[in-house]
Amino acid sequence: MPVRENIQEKELPSDVVNTPIRKQVTDLDHAGGDTGAMQVFASLSDANVVLDGPVGCHVMPAVAVINYTDSVPYLQNVTCSELSETEVTLAGTLGVLKEKVGEATVAGRQVFIVSTPVSELIGATWTTEHAHIPGSAVFFDSHSLDDDEWKSRDRALLFLWQNRDHFVRRADAPPRLPKLRPSVNIIGPTYGNFNSYSDLAEIKRLVAGIGADINLVYPFEAASGDTKHLADADASIVMYAEYGRSLAREVGLPTFFAPIGLEPTTQFLRGLGKALGLEAQADAFIRLEKKTTLAAWHDIWRSTHSDFFANAPVAVIAPPTYKDGLTYYMGEELGLPILYSAYRTGPESAPNEEVRKALADASPSPMVVFGSINERMIIAQEKMPSLFFQCSFPGAVVRRATGTPFVGYAGAVWLLQCICEALFDTLFANLPTSAAPPARATSTTRDTMLAAPESVSTSGKGQNSVINWTDEAKALNEKTLKRVPFFVRVSVAKKLRAEAEALARERGSDVDAGIIAELTARYSPRK
Amino acid sequence: MSKQPSSMCPAFGAVRNLLRMEDAMPIVISSGDGCLYGHTFVAHFYVANRPIYSPGVSSEIWAKGSAFDELRSMVIRMAEEHQPSIIPICSLCVSDTVGLPFDLLPKQIGNTEVIYVPLPAYSVHTHARAKDIVVDSLVWRLPPQRKARAGVNLIGEIFPSDPIEIDEVLRKIGTHVNTHVPGPRWADYVAMVDGALNAPVHPFYSESVKRMKMKQGLPFIEGAPVGVDGTYTWITSVGRELNLDSATVETVARQEQAKVRAVLDQRSLDGLTFMVAGYEGHEFLLVRLLIEAGAKVPYLSTAVNTNPLAREEEAWLAERGCKVLYGANFGDEIAALTDRPYDCVIGTTPLCAHAKELGIPSIYYTNAMATRSMMLAKGAGDVIDLVRQTVGAKVRYDRIARFFAEDETRLERTYTSWAPKLDLTEHLIANQAL
Repeated sequence: MPVRENIQEKELPSDVVNTPIRKQVTDLDHAGGDTGAMQVFASLSDANVVLDGPVGCHVMPAVAVINYTDSVPYLQNVTCSELSETEVTLAGTLGVLKEKVGEATVAGRQVFIVSTPVSELIGATWTTEHAHIPGSAVFFDSHSLDDDEWKSRDRALLFLWQNRDHFVRRADAPPRLPKLRPSVNIIGPTYGNFNSYSDLAEIKRLVAGIGADINLVYPFEAASGDTKHLADADASIVMYAEYGRSLAREVGLPTFFAPIGLEPTTQFLRGLGKALGLEAQADAFIRLEKKTTLAAWHDIWRSTHSDFFANAPVAVIAPPTYKDGLTYYMGEELGLPILYSAYRTGPESAPNEEVRKALADASPSPMVVFGSINERMIIAQEKMPSLFFQCSFPGAVVRRATGTPFVGYAGAVWLLQCICEALFDTLFANLPTSAAPPARATSTTRDTMLAAPESVSTSGKGQNSVINWTDEAKALNEKTLKRVPFFVRVSVAKKLRAEAEALARERGSDVDAGIIAELTARYSPRK
Repeated sequence: MSKQPSSMCPAFGAVRNLLRMEDAMPIVISSGDGCLYGHTFVAHFYVANRPIYSPGVSSEIWAKGSAFDELRSMVIRMAEEHQPSIIPICSLCVSDTVGLPFDLLPKQIGNTEVIYVPLPAYSVHTHARAKDIVVDSLVWRLPPQRKARAGVNLIGEIFPSDPIEIDEVLRKIGTHVNTHVPGPRWADYVAMVDGALNAPVHPFYSESVKRMKMKQGLPFIEGAPVGVDGTYTWITSVGRELNLDSATVETVARQEQAKVRAVLDQRSLDGLTFMVAGYEGHEFLLVRLLIEAGAKVPYLSTAVNTNPLAREEEAWLAERGCKVLYGANFGDEIAALTDRPYDCVIGTTPLCAHAKELGIPSIYYTNAMATRSMMLAKGAGDVIDLVRQTVGAKVRYDRIARFFAEDETRLERTYTSWAPKLDLTEHLIANQAL
């Protein structure tokens, strides 16, 4: 995955609605335009956001979901117009909206009004856009009936830039410091973006490492009044390819994307260093990183751990930045077979049913599935032997400790560590022997010998130490083993054999297909 | 700050209960992806590990009017492929505003019932109302009584062992639990018409029980077997309504009442003040227990609508110094936290977050309380134990609150070091009257 500089026209989100017309949706994997816009505006430290919709449009994204994506109890600067049947069927939203905007209009805070599906449906958008609403509130049409959260974030960021002269810096805001060193903008993250806290911390570390300053972390650590100062930087870094590109393009500075993997990070540092006139510092930082942060990476790489990589297949289902980044890092740099990969959200999102089929039919099954809760459910429902590693929303998770980045050198180390731990977990789960306490001896050695029939043919089923396997049982066993990651196949084979023969002995039968089916249910897809 | 207490989207109360039905295959017609994402996210988090199906929606689809045709073919396809007992059609804000002709959907496909559940959240207002709508919509589909009626229908989400405990008590007075809804099977709802009495144990199933009285002639009683007074009153109400032997009923009611009293006597909450805010309807019952255990609860904040079924409950609480606030202003509630020595807050996520910031032990109502039994002696013991455990963690909450307040100039926000100039709790109660 080459580092991309500057934004091409064709990379911008299209003007047409970006949610494809779908006949049926199973387990939706992305939020809508109102949520995306709300997450951008609410990230600004001086914003009060008023969603023009019923109470559910407010509490679902800003109280219920945010608590499980960002571990924030609720977004204190978001409210809604609390539409009821009167407004929807008769009065329109403007009356209650004005009231709510009035409540939200306090000194030093900028009010953002965001449309929701209900207000758009009843045509309140036009009215709101053209109404006189006292105060300095601005209205953003979130196209929530059609656009998804990603496009809406991109549009909302651009909207902020286009309205930059409208926003006022608070009187009590700390003064902007004189510029001593080259500086960069970090565009993104916003609320509701998987793992962004760690990724942001890592990008900040990299920027500081090459001797540059941070101009603005926008919108996450900025106020609306700072918007115009985006122009003061020397370069921009877009955290996630999903959004922020339109803003970066309008700001017009050299633009870089947060890198995933070793080589991309090195290219990123060199490219950024060049753009900022800090080439020597960038090179020095890369040299230092090899001895510090990346020493762990190099040690793991040189250990036996990496011997398993070629036989440890994985699947990646994530939004574009993570899907492309993880696929490149694991597939190209580490050499793990990528059995399947798909975009989890965005216009090219793979339908859930397609993902389900691909994962369930994969042979062998992936050792780890990187995905969202949808994949987690697929693993459980299809009884796959795969481990699950979350790399996308939806799915409740806590990712606030900043030590779990995917991007940068620290991200490369963290991901490598997780992959190795998955290897160890898989090994442990498939150890062939787990006799604790050991099985009891039921007779003396001599008695055991005497009791055993002479040969299998005269044995009476299952009485001999050599147990007969029926052809169906063997075939089913083979089929099952193919689903197991290669590097533990021997262990699983031993374990299955021991368990199957123990059961056969207990029942006094051959190892038949029934016994294998019973034992391998945990490895087999539901039929 | 919002006047409506923060609960989930009201419609989720219904979606949640329908998703928990094992032989139902709900279709959620969302207002848009933001709406559907919210419902899907929380459903997959704590309701069920199962797919959520929806027809695709967009402005183009609404404008073309193709949504209904898609829905119809989806319903037929799902019924033929999976043959669930019911396919509930959950119609949220936009589809209900557009007014899809749900009457034109097939009512039955093979053995599958297709049932329209209207959930325009802007009209439904509360979680509780949505749950009422589910029971009402499902039961409305049933034919009238089919056989001799007997037993009590329990209505309301309760702890899994509650129906068994209650059944044991009812058998002593000559009746039994006939069925319990919301339940995991369609058959749980079908059985309702064969019961002799409806007992909504949470005070918001008024539409369901009223319509069942109208259509099926099934009487209903109020209240629940919770707490000292509640247990006695509930058992005697069942006895009276079903004409059971009054001497036996009286004896059993007194016995159960004594058991609850014994449990509460061992777990005194004397001298403790609680703030309680809920949106499930259980909160009425919880406050009853707290008060009977000796606690002070100046007010109960609830997101349940005023409801005829809650009137007696409200009067009982009022007599004991607890005012019921329907839809209290959230900002005022947070303010009220700072002026009184509240020992514990049992409330919504945002309210608890503020309480914890002040060093007040608190628990999120839904996660902690809604998963416990409250009924009879066993339930009373369970709940009060949890509450006492929470209050007992005061030192830990304080330590953390102090640590994070160190750099703040607002340290005096904790009631312990701040003399109130205005009793904000009184202010809140006075301004939020019915």
